[in-house]
Amino acid sequence: MEEHVPAVINLTYLWKKEREELGEKVIETIKGFGAEGIEYCMQCGACSSICPLATTGFEWYNRRLIKAIDFGIRDELFDDVTPWACVACNRCVEVCPRNVNPFEVMFAMRRLMIEELAVPMTAVQALKSLYDHGHAVYTTGREARKKVGLPEKPPTTDSDEKALEELRVLLRNTKLPELGLFPMS
Amino acid sequence: MKYGLFLGCNISFNRPDVEAAIRSVSPLLGVELDDLNGQSCCPTWGTVPSVDTIAWCAVGARNLALGEEKGIDLVTACNTCYSSLSEARYKMLNDAETMREVNEILKKIGKEYKGKSKCRHVAWVLYRDVGLDRIKKAAKYELDDIVIAVQPGCHFLWPSKVLPDREEDPFNPVVLRELCKVLGADVRPYTRMIDCCGAGALKSTNQEKSYKLAKMKLECIRKETDADLIVTTCSSCLIQLDEAQEMLRKRGEIDFSIPVLHYVQLLALCMGFDPERVAGICVTPRDEIISKIVESGRK
Repeated sequence: MEEHVPAVINLTYLWKKEREELGEKVIETIKGFGAEGIEYCMQCGACSSICPLATTGFEWYNRRLIKAIDFGIRDELFDDVTPWACVACNRCVEVCPRNVNPFEVMFAMRRLMIEELAVPMTAVQALKSLYDHGHAVYTTGREARKKVGLPEKPPTTDSDEKALEELRVLLRNTKLPELGLFPMS
Repeated sequence: MKYGLFLGCNISFNRPDVEAAIRSVSPLLGVELDDLNGQSCCPTWGTVPSVDTIAWCAVGARNLALGEEKGIDLVTACNTCYSSLSEARYKMLNDAETMREVNEILKKIGKEYKGKSKCRHVAWVLYRDVGLDRIKKAAKYELDDIVIAVQPGCHFLWPSKVLPDREEDPFNPVVLRELCKVLGADVRPYTRMIDCCGAGALKSTNQEKSYKLAKMKLECIRKETDADLIVTTCSSCLIQLDEAQEMLRKRGEIDFSIPVLHYVQLLALCMGFDPERVAGICVTPRDEIISKIVESGRK
């Protein structure tokens, strides 16, 4: 795996890599992960003008990520955390004049990265917590609920074993088990 | 008016005073709540939406189906739940193949989602279904002389095409401001009103950058509105602006303190409910603003 995007991008190398090694264009891979509109992008920059990631200085925010994918850059981006910092605010979707849906590009990149295990532990922990408890955010301490006069357990999978098992069966029937992120028995 | 109360993780475990508030105010406003037993995480962005579209929609559809089975819509006080469930529904309604694949999975647990039930946001239910008049009548205290800066939050506004209720101009939102004004508050606009608070994935990826956004917003509120109170419709914005503010004070980066409430908490306080129950969890102190509301604001 390359560690970062090189200073000079060799388009011939990337073109050959797509044909000979990957067997498909990176942009096609990303479309397959849900970013069907990516090729409508004309690099106008409306999305990056309002992106919280661009504001705070993350490197591969929406417009730049789209350009990199268009060039055929892929593995070189796997060490970058930008897609995992996306807050899914969807401002970019609202302002895009070409229906690119840049949010789906960020998330398609996540979906590609997770297949390569280029995923932060916080995301794995959230997925495991969803599977174990039915909640991505979960605490065992219930002082807060007791303090405000509510039952210790909310009326969710937390207090309903049958519903939790239902959710687990559902998750085992998705793509999640194939990824091998954590045991799902 | 009957809805299934969709709690979400943050409100269930971190901010149950928001749950207590919504449960307190609803009956007096003619809103009946069903518990939607067995509901799960919406799913939030960092979980299955990051894995696969079908998995995202399947978890969302199971939650939506809990309402659909009873012939009711869902209502939530969390912006993330609102947008994740709305976007999943939009995908299913606009792509027959996605809907078919999701229902194949749901069939294995004896469920089906037809696309009828949707998830509403509690602020919209209050604004549209309950109405400003009824809210005004239900309030025992008036927010005279209280200045509010609102934080609608990203997922209350965008992408507007997937949301069941839409602001006329999502870049100049009015609903939360109207809801605060009807309680008598002086609601002041500020430049960074629609900016991101810095919560969510940005925070779990880079705390420094997350605080940077929170600080920009808080300083703007301080400078342009001198607000007594920040009011939000989002449980994530609530936690971020309350907790990051305290951390910024501890780090010596800001020297002021502005309490933060979810709108349903503010409403519950105005309706006379016990502050310990409906607004008892925070790190940025609320005592002063609560006393001001309760002691000096009687109609």
